[in-house]
Amino acid sequence: MNLPYFFKFVAANVGAVAIGLSLGLLIVYATGSDLSLAATTLVLAPISDFYNLAEMLVWFTPLLVIAQGIGLGIRAGVWNVGAPGQFLLGSVFTMIVWKFLNPYIPPAPLVILMLLGGAAGGCLWALIPAVIRARFGGNEIVVTLLLNLVAVSVLWWALDGPIRGRFSAGYPLSDVIPTVYRIPTLIPDTRLSYSLAISLAVAALFYVLVEKTHFGLQLKAVGLNPVAAKNSGIKVSWTLFRALLIAGAAAGFAGSLHLLGVLYRMDAGYAETGNDFGYIAIAVAMLGGAHPLGIVFSSIFFSYMMIGAQNMQRMIQIPFPLVYAVVGCMLISLTLVQRAYRRSL
Amino acid sequence: MHVDIAYTGPASLSEVFVGMIEALLTPEFFITALALTVRIAPTILFASLGEVISEKAGVVNLGVEGIMLITAYTAFYISYQAGDPAMGLLAALAVGAVIGVVHGLLTVYLRLNQVVVGLGLWLFGLGIPDILYRISFKGISSPTVKVFEEAPIPLLSDLPVVGPILFSHNILVYTALLLIPAVYFLINHTRPGLNFIVCGENPKAAHAAGVNVLRTRALAVLIGSLLASLGGAYFTTAFLRSYITNITFGRGFIAIAMVYFGNWSPVRLLLPLLIYNFVDSVQLILQTADIGVRYYVLNMVPYLTIIALMPVFARGVRPPSALMKPFK
Repeated sequence: MNLPYFFKFVAANVGAVAIGLSLGLLIVYATGSDLSLAATTLVLAPISDFYNLAEMLVWFTPLLVIAQGIGLGIRAGVWNVGAPGQFLLGSVFTMIVWKFLNPYIPPAPLVILMLLGGAAGGCLWALIPAVIRARFGGNEIVVTLLLNLVAVSVLWWALDGPIRGRFSAGYPLSDVIPTVYRIPTLIPDTRLSYSLAISLAVAALFYVLVEKTHFGLQLKAVGLNPVAAKNSGIKVSWTLFRALLIAGAAAGFAGSLHLLGVLYRMDAGYAETGNDFGYIAIAVAMLGGAHPLGIVFSSIFFSYMMIGAQNMQRMIQIPFPLVYAVVGCMLISLTLVQRAYRRSL
Repeated sequence: MHVDIAYTGPASLSEVFVGMIEALLTPEFFITALALTVRIAPTILFASLGEVISEKAGVVNLGVEGIMLITAYTAFYISYQAGDPAMGLLAALAVGAVIGVVHGLLTVYLRLNQVVVGLGLWLFGLGIPDILYRISFKGISSPTVKVFEEAPIPLLSDLPVVGPILFSHNILVYTALLLIPAVYFLINHTRPGLNFIVCGENPKAAHAAGVNVLRTRALAVLIGSLLASLGGAYFTTAFLRSYITNITFGRGFIAIAMVYFGNWSPVRLLLPLLIYNFVDSVQLILQTADIGVRYYVLNMVPYLTIIALMPVFARGVRPPSALMKPFK
């Protein structure tokens, strides 16, 4: 690795993040809130106690997995902005697998099936844009964004039909997944589970896939120059197709992990969980330079910021959409500074 | 929470379609649905026409949704303060112009990735208006604004069937419809329009012929952004009287999809756009009519229609050759 280049890249990204954060604090200031209280809460709350630290890792887990998929896509030049929908579909599939197979299959293999079902659900939801992109040359971004909206309706329909809870009493609620089917808790009295370890394993898998395999090389070739890649015998459409499916599977898998490791049940509010993770993961992948290792660090940073922002909200009553505005601003400033150091982004 | 006691089970999508078709067999319903179709159309049409212009010149503006969200709020805020929707509209245009210039600067002159800038702009627009709304309207419960009144065209609006469908709307609806031929003329029969096409198809040739590619593209982005801001303003100066979170609800993205379906022609995009809006109108009316189908099943139908239409309309479309490719 070229060290001066690396340090410049890091410095540039820090600058971009600072631009986004200062916008956030500017808005906090404009609302007439206590700025120093806001800033200290943002910075110190995530590391102030054990619970917040664990919550940070609860955010870290799905962000890492989803962003790995998005990052892999970016390397190939395809943008998976459909993670929110894939996350929801993955969760719904996990629930369906549990609901219909739990009388027949013992817990341990069933949990594995549930996780695979989650990945399959996300994969299936990514299949639609992938086919449209590869077969019709359509824009995958618009299709995936539309499918995110459809996924919310699918979730509500599922909560009312196939995965409706026995005691839901007409409300859109699923059953609670029993303890034996859950991913065990890592630290007692927190929501942190062994999903964390699984997500790190997924990150390692992505590292090998992108950096050490023939497929990874093809991805990068297509992303850098599709025409040259095609001329050297790489099937460009097929590569993009697989990249989108992998990204979808990752997002669906993340939904599965979050359901089995943290929430254990689904309700109408689950749609927002998917949105928060899915859209912020795009910024995570960007900040990490779409590199599997970089994404690990940027996931830590973003989960830190999210827990800080959540505490700040509680402390000074700032509405949550502020986070979206800050992330949006960060995306633009990130691409602005990365322009100088990377050609592929 | 919406709890429907009489509800017996989730209806299958085919039942929903059958229900829709049955409802459509009554003439009054048909006319109501078509009139609503035309009334909803500008929520997408303005942005689509703007996107045609900017994509013709080679720049995808994925931030249309963000622009619409921001300008919808701007129009709402200003017309609330001024008591006049026209002022709100002007303010929205001003904000749209600023965003257009910045977007052009970032994507055309600095050659940033158009996807990322667009997504950033969208997320920005998803966040900012809501915060401003909560600050500006603190303590005011459900504020409403005056909107452009219905202005039926004399004589024409008295015609049977066509009158209520086409000629009994507010001024912005007519504006949107008249913009279709205007944009067509601009692109195909004026010098700036032809420059847009060359810059979108072959910027090198345009450059060689003495066209300032960067300036032409920035201009196209600016016009696109202005039209999108009209679309945003339409929500709060004509369509709705109050402001709600995420008021555009994905219509900016649908506008981009329509450009693709219409093969980058301002005229051809009208058919898929009307089909989409018609399905949407029917499901909106049925939601209030309560035909025993849950609203989220109905909600899905327009999106599924658009995705189902893709293979039909996407056949043989060809984007501008230099679309999303920065120049130099």
